[in-house]
Amino acid sequence: MDYKAIIIGGSAGSFQVVTKILSALPANFPLPVLLCFHRLKHVRSGFVEALSLKSRIPVSEPFDKEQLKPGRAYLAPANYHMYVELANRIALSTEDTVNHSRPSIDLAFITAANAYREKLIAIILSGANRDGAFGLKKVQDNGGLTIVQDPNECEVKTMTQSALQLTKADFVYTTNQIINLLSRIKQG
Amino acid sequence: MNELSILEIREIVQTVRDVYDYDFSNYALTAFKSRLERLIMKYNVHNAGNLNRKLKEEPDFFDTFLFEISIPSTEMFRDPSVWRWLREEFFPSALNNISGKFKIMVPFCVSGGELYSLAILLHEAGFEDNVQIYASSMSNTAIDLIKTGQYDLKKTEVSEENYKRYAGNRELSKYYSIERYFAFRDTSLIKDIEIKKVKACDELPQNIKLILCRNNLIYFNPSLQDRIVRQLHNALSVNGHLILGIQEKINSSGSFNGFDNINETERVYMKKQLI
Repeated sequence: MDYKAIIIGGSAGSFQVVTKILSALPANFPLPVLLCFHRLKHVRSGFVEALSLKSRIPVSEPFDKEQLKPGRAYLAPANYHMYVELANRIALSTEDTVNHSRPSIDLAFITAANAYREKLIAIILSGANRDGAFGLKKVQDNGGLTIVQDPNECEVKTMTQSALQLTKADFVYTTNQIINLLSRIKQG
Repeated sequence: MNELSILEIREIVQTVRDVYDYDFSNYALTAFKSRLERLIMKYNVHNAGNLNRKLKEEPDFFDTFLFEISIPSTEMFRDPSVWRWLREEFFPSALNNISGKFKIMVPFCVSGGELYSLAILLHEAGFEDNVQIYASSMSNTAIDLIKTGQYDLKKTEVSEENYKRYAGNRELSKYYSIERYFAFRDTSLIKDIEIKKVKACDELPQNIKLILCRNNLIYFNPSLQDRIVRQLHNALSVNGHLILGIQEKINSSGSFNGFDNINETERVYMKKQLI
């Protein structure tokens, strides 16, 4: 398995799950991890700090055009869309909301899918709207690996079910199975 | 519509360069691409080839193109703490004992969200007579919208919330009226403000004390960001201030050190003393 990046999206009910995933990744994890979660537009601080508590890799909200590095997690900042731009950089944008969301999971996934093609792993977690479904489809169309959290395990099933309606995901996994898969990844 | 390919985007950039002498080659690709795709849908031109033809055959369309390519600010009083800092810390000391007008520049206006927010702040604080504001925009369409006060109705709700967090003197709705699908802002707020149409960041005024340039540089690649930061630096007087967006940083490409970052959380930079 040769991959260049992981992208994870979610909203309601996904905080505990992503916390668990981040706490299980080793400090020398070989890939950058992009995180796109629905969050309050006006609350700038607190999210990164909360995720950092248990994570063994550093978590930050990237500055515009920041270079992505392995072994780090990048959380889409409040009230910005987060894109993967050319040359492995982040680009931020204040374009209109998509699915009432900024950051939009669809936009983050689509741009990551265009940048990394088949070398991307994309994961949709628990959440309360349809955002991410199109993005996950784009990842699959471009040859990337698609994973959806098992809806039976999700606090809110809308996001994972919407994703599964549009895409026959490669894996429908519990949190522990996701962790198990990520722990076997080598750099591409 | 299919996604635009890099080749198609290059062709559009080339057309605009050949016909109008505007250079979009250093715009950040992802956002630029999405703006072009949005434009193609909105004006029913279907594909890149048709857009190229329209740009060549319809000179009147070019200002629309410039307007649609630009990305407006999200809402008024975005990041209320920046505006509080300006009102409570920055302006009271900056305007203390000032002789002449305090020059402020607001480049890259599209919807005028930042411009009106600033005008409201200055109005409420009673500072409006002490300042001269130089605003600029790439398109006449944007300038007309700003001058008529027209504003996207769906942005008013978040703007109201921001204004409350900013703790303004009244209700933000006192500054606009709603007609059908639009809000119209009180244009008396900007009556003394010159809004100039500029191509990029050329012909900037000099001896500026404050530049408000939040979330504009994100649409450029690092080399164009660097060039514009140098132009803004040049327009500022020594100790003049530059405010960027919350997730923007000078030096994404790492070569310029003409500024000190004096407020980390609100992204305020100050032009260094000449050595």
